[in-house]
Amino acid sequence: MFRFLVRRIIGALVILLIISAVTFMLYYAIPRDPARMACGKVCTKDLLEQVRQNLGISDPLPVQYWHWLEGIFAGRDYGGLGNCNAPCLGFSFTNREPVLGTIMDRLPTTISLALGAAFFFLIIGVGTGMIAAVKQGKAADKIASSFSLIGSSLQIYFVGYIAMFLMVQQLGIMDQPSYTPFTDNPVAWASGLLLPWLTLSIIFTANYTRMTRSQLVEQLSEDYVRTARAKGLSRRSVFFRFAWRGAMGPIVTIFGIDMGTLIGGAIITESVFSIQGIGRLALTAVDANDLPMLLGVTLVAAAAIVFFNIIVDAVYALIDPRIRLA
Amino acid sequence: MSFSRRNFLIATGVAAGASTVLSACSSGNAGGSGSNKAPSVDKAAAATIAVGTKADSTGPAPEVEGAVKGGTIYTLDQIDCDHLDPAQLYSSYEGAVSVPFLRGLTGYKVDAKGKVTLVGDLATDAGTMTDGGKTWAFTLKDNVKWQDGADVTIEDVRWTFERLFAKFVTQGPRYPQSWLIGGDKYKGPYEGKHLDSIEISGNTVTFRLKEGHSDFNFMLAMRGFSLVPKKHDTKEKYDKQPFSCGPYKIESRSIGKSMTLVRNTHWVADTDPIRNAYPDKFEMQFGFELQASTDRYIADAGNDQYTVSMFNEVAPTRMQQVLGNATLKKRVLTQVDTTCYYYAINTKRVPDVKVRQALNYAWPSKQAQQIRGGSSSSAIATTIISPLTPGHQDFDLYGKKTKPTGDPEKAKALLKEAGKVGQKVVIAFQQSDTAVKTAVAIKTALTKAGFDVVTKQVDKTSFYSQIGQLDNEYDLFAAGWGPDWPAGYAVIQPCFDSSQIADGGVNWPQLRNTGVDKAIAAATVEADPKKAAKMWGDLDRQIMELAAVVPDYNPIRNWMYGSKIGGIQYDAGNTCIAMTKLYRKA
Amino acid sequence: MTSTDQQPFLSVRDLKVHFSTEDGVVKAVDGLTFDLAKGKTLGIVGESGSGKSVTNLTILGLHDRERTAIDGEILLDGKELLTASERELEKLRGNKMSMIFQDALASLSPYHTIGKQIGETYRKHTGASKAEARARAIEMLKRVGIPQPDVRVDDYPHQFSGGMRQRAMIAMALVCDPELLIADEPTTALDVTVQAQIMDLLKDLQQEFGTAIIFITHDLGVIADIADDVLVMYGGRCVERGTKKEVLRAPQHPYTWGLLGSMPSLDGPVDVPLSPIPGSPPSLLNPPTGCRFHPRCTFTEKVTGGLCASAQPLLEITDGRGAACHLTADQRRDFFADFAATRSH
Repeated sequence: MFRFLVRRIIGALVILLIISAVTFMLYYAIPRDPARMACGKVCTKDLLEQVRQNLGISDPLPVQYWHWLEGIFAGRDYGGLGNCNAPCLGFSFTNREPVLGTIMDRLPTTISLALGAAFFFLIIGVGTGMIAAVKQGKAADKIASSFSLIGSSLQIYFVGYIAMFLMVQQLGIMDQPSYTPFTDNPVAWASGLLLPWLTLSIIFTANYTRMTRSQLVEQLSEDYVRTARAKGLSRRSVFFRFAWRGAMGPIVTIFGIDMGTLIGGAIITESVFSIQGIGRLALTAVDANDLPMLLGVTLVAAAAIVFFNIIVDAVYALIDPRIRLA
Repeated sequence: MSFSRRNFLIATGVAAGASTVLSACSSGNAGGSGSNKAPSVDKAAAATIAVGTKADSTGPAPEVEGAVKGGTIYTLDQIDCDHLDPAQLYSSYEGAVSVPFLRGLTGYKVDAKGKVTLVGDLATDAGTMTDGGKTWAFTLKDNVKWQDGADVTIEDVRWTFERLFAKFVTQGPRYPQSWLIGGDKYKGPYEGKHLDSIEISGNTVTFRLKEGHSDFNFMLAMRGFSLVPKKHDTKEKYDKQPFSCGPYKIESRSIGKSMTLVRNTHWVADTDPIRNAYPDKFEMQFGFELQASTDRYIADAGNDQYTVSMFNEVAPTRMQQVLGNATLKKRVLTQVDTTCYYYAINTKRVPDVKVRQALNYAWPSKQAQQIRGGSSSSAIATTIISPLTPGHQDFDLYGKKTKPTGDPEKAKALLKEAGKVGQKVVIAFQQSDTAVKTAVAIKTALTKAGFDVVTKQVDKTSFYSQIGQLDNEYDLFAAGWGPDWPAGYAVIQPCFDSSQIADGGVNWPQLRNTGVDKAIAAATVEADPKKAAKMWGDLDRQIMELAAVVPDYNPIRNWMYGSKIGGIQYDAGNTCIAMTKLYRKA
Repeated sequence: MTSTDQQPFLSVRDLKVHFSTEDGVVKAVDGLTFDLAKGKTLGIVGESGSGKSVTNLTILGLHDRERTAIDGEILLDGKELLTASERELEKLRGNKMSMIFQDALASLSPYHTIGKQIGETYRKHTGASKAEARARAIEMLKRVGIPQPDVRVDDYPHQFSGGMRQRAMIAMALVCDPELLIADEPTTALDVTVQAQIMDLLKDLQQEFGTAIIFITHDLGVIADIADDVLVMYGGRCVERGTKKEVLRAPQHPYTWGLLGSMPSLDGPVDVPLSPIPGSPPSLLNPPTGCRFHPRCTFTEKVTGGLCASAQPLLEITDGRGAACHLTADQRRDFFADFAATRSH
């Protein structure tokens, strides 16, 4: 396991390096000049050159990229803005805030959003999936399946606005979505994020219901499940210790992917609910041509996805001894 | 300015600061004639802005009728300010939200009827001009304090203008840098050198300019020229938390999320003719999409009743619902903007005036307006100077009002006359839904008039860089300009004077016309505001006769607010709601 | 032990197992009767779909109760299983009666160690501690001939070879010393050497514990090796019964002849071509009228009055011997003699 983790982490770093290089190249693939954005309304040649120097983009691209990498490992001096200690992701082109600081400021929001939503969609999704699997073909199964079908066809910007309109603005039974750090006030943290959590889980639950149901149905018809019953084990223990154990693998995989995506940034969700997480940051960075922020956010999003991939593989190996971590 | 920040970032070259005069179309008078009628630009009288006297420049600001002191007012906006260092501050949104804590030498005073006067803000009056506008003097008021209780000094005034020359200052307006004598060589005060053309003596500062500028005091009213205390100047870092000499100071900021303004106890109301400062506190919240804020205003629940937006307008998707409902519409401030969007014609590539005029005749103004969302979001423009900017003359050289869908026959006839039937026109447009649809409409109309139209999509992030290149390969492309201050100079000079032709410049048509240049020079130094206004209006006509651009539209803005917000007034100086006039209804 | 000579250890009477499907009722088992005494082995032969496996799953009560209609009775040591509660059955399964499945790889849980899977059964029925269960698992593995059982006990099924898995499966089935062992084609997937070892193992264990075994197979060679009695199933019914000797030496039913003809004879000449039974097993949804085998039977015209297609032949049992066929006893004798002649040439 240890060797596996070391190998995968090294692999992940290489992937992140490649992603950052590709992002950097893609950014400049279309003819654009970030200096133009930070150069007032009437932008003369001299002024533009000055902006380039201020932003640190007057060097050739490979040199710029090298400096950026250097910043991550050794830190970088940003003159008037001060020294930026390693790991330094630079300063935003637009508001000249340290990129890492901004990301760290937003990350807890996004993580809270993802974890809370996961709590709901896992419990609801897996729970209904289990019921549907046990009650195969019966009313409960049909209801669960149709709800999951409806759920999966809904879009967050549709459900989100309706939920806000109903729950917050009309009925007033839920708080206006907002983020309060858990450490400040756990109740406000939960009540502020409840609506986004529930809305996200409506969308995500469907997938888990379907997945859990089909996996369990498949597992329940496996020979070893029959063997377990032939040994005299009860239905319940066969269900949880054998069938569910077998069904977990694919669910964990999907969950890992979903978590990676959610932490990489629930762009639409965060926009709909006016929550300031990584997703919004990404959106603004793209909009504003803010290369350092774009690189930083991309890196964090990619790291989240890669990280959850490693976790998924490790968990999968724990669940299924046939998988060898090599 | 009328651009969203998004646009501004994409198009730094375009309108940033902007100003106009009359809130001719505030919700009050627009609501009477019909609940869903769009504000009409045509009837707006061309404005004049009076230059106030010393008495006008003396505080306190005229009371807002029925206003109550105290409480908290909230704001809901999409974006935070990228910059708060005045030297880096250009966008009108940043200008609008900084009114409570930034003060300059001059500023705009709005009275109860919405009439705007240029007055001295920190200066005792709107300045004294001598030597044909080449010398300007301002005297600092007594008893104006920074937030730490220290006096605002004349040293601070000189420091504020000298630091504009520092290397890190790249974002703000650059008029002083090019107007002041010796400005081309000066590198800022941080190495211990002063700029000789800014003289201080006693409580008076004197600026010496290379050429006469009769509207120098208007230019100084831009928020970018608010004062910075020498003692607390932290250069690049000053951008995050500027020092206040206004009625409020920044208590806390969470960049991108929120900013809280509380009272600056050292502010003296008697020194301030502009700001009323009724609420105790402003809680500004950022990160709300237009639709989110609009929905909250519609619901009008809890603290949202005491909320206003400085940036967010009514979401396009909610426009019908809001403007179609008399009750909701009461809580909307509708305002035609001073920005004029036009299609620049590259005069280097299309040198024949007749061809350019034919383009104007053939233009599908009405179709384009429909594509943008109809008459509630934009008004068709026929001139370059907006109807709300001093100097505007109401003319329509190419019959856009009489034939809003275009006049292909007339255009064809002109082309024939010029021997240019089948003239090839390359149109550059951005990759957006609206732009693509508009491009199709334009192509259809121009083709009908006998042009051979080629449309080219340009990535939106590099659009303005591309059209700003002198050797670009486009004949026609969308651009727009909002004046930095309410005068013809701010509209015409940057965009049509041949001296402004440069890579990255904003003379997009690359108009090089001696007649125009001469007329601009003359109008610039004209000391009589009335005469000057007439001269700028004539210039507008002169340029339109040369058909350097096809005027397209003036945007219409709709801001919504909570039911318990009082004192909603249009701040013509910042083309925004006047923050310091607001009060919290009991 | 209450089993007596009068009452066999396992007694199945007129068992009918019908599944309802979307297309109709599948008569998987349609009136099956047999007895099994302790220490004896009953071989059940038949093609796939003949109802062999269903019969045995029904004995364990592992059928889907909601979709299955069952009639008849199954008495294990005098206890009626079909009406027993799920809890009662749970107590019997793996304990008094247990089952070895055909595909050990699929039938063992891939997620648990061999030791755990064996020990689990033991703990369930004896309430033993984890340590005791582990010791028992090692003991069982040793008994079924797994080398280094104390090490291999912690292996997962995928770490075992095919033969070892089947042994582990047997160890698991025998961990509570069951009195009835149902072995559902336990050697089909194994190569001949391993197959022989497993068969020997079962025989040894039976000798040691006196277990009653039901051995399901489609391979008459295996039957010849292990069974005392043989039951031939076709289309959910028993078509022939008798002792091993009777059924293999003097089969009475054309289907049994077919089965014999489709397998190589160890003592006959090698160049005799094998003749698989023509046609395919009957549909249990719409079984043929009359004798279910008649569409594939080559002797139908020998029976007068088209009886084969219209009337079901009765299974008449005398002294545990009988076959369900319309051919007369003489006809059967003659036809089998002909068949045997072609085989020995």
